[in-house]
Amino acid sequence: MTANEDIKTFFSREIEENMDALYGTALRLAGTGADAEDLVAETVSKAWSAIGTLQDRQRFRPWIFRILHNCFISAYRREAVRPRQSAYEEEDDGGVVALLNAQPDDFLVWWANPERQFFNNMLGSAIMAAIDGLPDAFRTTIILVNVEGLTYDEAAEALGIPPGTVRSRMKRGRTMLQKALWEQARDAGIAPLQKTAGIRHEQ
Amino acid sequence: MSNKTDTHGHGDIGCLAAIEAFYAYLDGELSDPQAIEDFEHHMSHCRSCFSRAEVEKLLNERMRGSATSKASEDLRDRVRRLMDEF
Repeated sequence: MTANEDIKTFFSREIEENMDALYGTALRLAGTGADAEDLVAETVSKAWSAIGTLQDRQRFRPWIFRILHNCFISAYRREAVRPRQSAYEEEDDGGVVALLNAQPDDFLVWWANPERQFFNNMLGSAIMAAIDGLPDAFRTTIILVNVEGLTYDEAAEALGIPPGTVRSRMKRGRTMLQKALWEQARDAGIAPLQKTAGIRHEQ
Repeated sequence: MSNKTDTHGHGDIGCLAAIEAFYAYLDGELSDPQAIEDFEHHMSHCRSCFSRAEVEKLLNERMRGSATSKASEDLRDRVRRLMDEF
């Protein structure tokens, strides 16, 4: 077996094994099945062209997800569609206090003592819809980490950002997600009522 | 909400510091043993933070369980044909 066949065999096997994850992520990013399939095909093509940049075969997963993400971003530029921005500047991580101070009191009261049953009853489609409504940077990070199971380190490599930024995005993005789920339930009239006013925590 | 951010004799980091470490801990990304110990200590006696952690774990499970999209056979065939040309 020549070195080229070995690389091609490895590449083909890894693509087959990661196909569902690639398609699932592409679907969440691109929005439609047809666009997702085109995105996956473009990713595979670009990845093979760039196979020489794969330094460590153990890192195939974050490497291919990086190519997928870059293809997706390039599609934005081609279609002149602006990514959804966040009201929170990523570089300005004022910490949890700043994040919580920006939230409405009703949400904070609920978030201080969330009800497990509420989440048990929530439809998976409602959760994914809430994720899809997040600003792109946070949505993509949560999809890679919490849906597709990449580590923070792998997600950092896939997105071309420092691991600290992944951690910051997870913290902010998950808080935004909680708020989005609460808003869904509130708008549907099923948000659990809070008997306590304000947030009570053990001293 | 407790605003303690460092220990005060009782060894508790307070809710705000716990929230800062929350998601990293739940995602298995908190690597500093002291940070893990401090977080778990806080969880052991703060009902609100413990309740929130339980709910976030549930949400983690739900999100992980939603990774059910399957690539169609058409897509797999399309990619195989693509790779045959490499």
